[in-house]
Amino acid sequence: MLRHLLTLIWNRKRANFLLLTEIFFAFIVLFVIGSLLIYNQVNYRLPRGFEYENSWEMTLNPAGQAREQQHTALLQVVQRLRTLPGVVDVARHSSNTPFSFSNMNTIFPHNGKDTPLTEIYEVDDHAANVLGLQLVEGRWFDRRDDAVGSAKPVVVTKDFRDAVFPGGKAVGELMVRDKDKLRIIGVTTTYRPANDYADGSPGMFMRTTDLDSVNYGLPVLLVRVQPGSDATLQERVSREIATITGGWKTDIQPLPEKRIRKLKTVLVPVIGLSLVGLFLILNVALGLFGVLWVNISQRRAEIGLRRAMGATGSAISWQFLTEMLLLTTLGVVLGGLVAVQFPLLGVLGVPSVTYLLGMGAAAVLIYLITALCAFQPSRQAAGIHPAVALREE
Amino acid sequence: MENILTQTTARPQATAPAPVTSAQPVIQLREIEKIYQTKTIETVALNRVNLTINKGEFVSIMGPSGCGKSTLLSIMGLLDEPSGGVIELDGRPVQAYSDRELAALRNQKIGFVFQSYHLINDLSVLDNVELPLLYRPGVGGKQRRERAYAALDKVGLSARTGHFPSQLSGGQRQRVAIARALAGRPEIILADEPTGNLDSVMGEEIMELLLNLNRQEGTTIVMVTHDEQQARRTQRLIRFFDGSQVS
Repeated sequence: MLRHLLTLIWNRKRANFLLLTEIFFAFIVLFVIGSLLIYNQVNYRLPRGFEYENSWEMTLNPAGQAREQQHTALLQVVQRLRTLPGVVDVARHSSNTPFSFSNMNTIFPHNGKDTPLTEIYEVDDHAANVLGLQLVEGRWFDRRDDAVGSAKPVVVTKDFRDAVFPGGKAVGELMVRDKDKLRIIGVTTTYRPANDYADGSPGMFMRTTDLDSVNYGLPVLLVRVQPGSDATLQERVSREIATITGGWKTDIQPLPEKRIRKLKTVLVPVIGLSLVGLFLILNVALGLFGVLWVNISQRRAEIGLRRAMGATGSAISWQFLTEMLLLTTLGVVLGGLVAVQFPLLGVLGVPSVTYLLGMGAAAVLIYLITALCAFQPSRQAAGIHPAVALREE
Repeated sequence: MENILTQTTARPQATAPAPVTSAQPVIQLREIEKIYQTKTIETVALNRVNLTINKGEFVSIMGPSGCGKSTLLSIMGLLDEPSGGVIELDGRPVQAYSDRELAALRNQKIGFVFQSYHLINDLSVLDNVELPLLYRPGVGGKQRRERAYAALDKVGLSARTGHFPSQLSGGQRQRVAIARALAGRPEIILADEPTGNLDSVMGEEIMELLLNLNRQEGTTIVMVTHDEQQARRTQRLIRFFDGSQVS
């Protein structure tokens, strides 16, 4: 029977072309959306690699003060805040703080190959404590790094290590970036500061000391506070800073609030894409339903004939369902041939396994839609009275 | 495999129907009624029809259009249910049979030939002929092919197996339809105006084919026709008028 149905599908290729095209495109769309959703979902379940619940980001605005004065004032601010009741610790951080829209990334050669795009975080020794960073190898920056050496100490993220030193240890490795020698002294766990759905991209922490002034932009501090700290502490911190600096403006943003804001901007396109996907699925479903309905109406005589030849009602129903599923298989195989190009070309920039899962999910969904859409028309076909159908032609 | 058509052309005297030696009923209709009912109109298509078809008989049914001939054939072929009465096949009443049992009976016992051939245009001649065997359990692909080839050989179309219905003449299409009916090796062939769409030459060709089938294979044939001449060549002629048998 299967060979018979395949012959029938092949011989009806012109009539089946539109249906096949619809299934093919539906598969591709579902595959893309599915891959992105799976990728986001897998990332969401990954450990974040830092703590944000009781931390603030503080952007200080020196309002035209000279650079030298700014530096001294900033050090005073940091010193004072660390002693303030309610404040656990304070760290200097470049503008690419967690959940920010700011990036500072680079690619540099190592051992004849380029590193992946690496986010550079300029932080001081307190950042590990403020962010609750965990190390899987080596150590964080401390006083030992004050000793003048030929290489600058850096801490890299696990994803950087896995990409640049696959399968090996990174601590002690020397690298050169923009003529600066870098020595890896530690490796953090996966670090995902961008948003809840971001992957653990490669990152490198560069050490900032009290001797380093802010090179560009406004000074940014990360402040870890006691749990339950509220606006009262924020007000007091702002007042203290204004007093010390002679009028600097302070913008305090608790990281939980930043997270939500970032999440909204990330989710809007994902939700939009999902809605488009849903709309497409609905369109495909209605299309398949309509095509099958017409198909059955046009093949009433054939149904009557098959009944006369000994087909039961359920055999007719199964025939139409199987025909539809075989066509779907053809569409999925053709779609699959296109889909496998995605990981080869790195179109969506997600891991290969995600593409495979996306293909699987798209195939399951398309089979489900097809089976659901074919079910009612197939039942209708089974109910066609053979004598009436044969007489109609 | 013996080619019925070729042999017929060579030996025209073979057209006499097979003599029915013993009256063994294969189809019995008792008090069969068929009433089509709508909200406003009740149409009686068959009115208390009593009819027995014996094994090996070639029976023709004649009557004006709309007198219930095709309805009768549908009921005999278990394609339609009567509104009243009893149908017996090989002495067993079939009314209480399930859809599955009726389908199996149609598949194994009955072959159909229709006026408009009812071939599936998207299938080759060979695939069309194989159709009844697809629904027969225990018949494998190889056996199906062999039986389909044999049936096509019988009707003189073994050179056209790969053709599609649209590439054949009306007469050839009807021969394919007969081959399809033969492939299932049925005891009974129900032919609904098999020559109705054909010119006289092709009609004669098909009639010869059916007569030879009846004579050589002993196949029971019930044929609805408008052609008095053809009907007279069968063993028994039944006339219908307004849903009732008149002779």
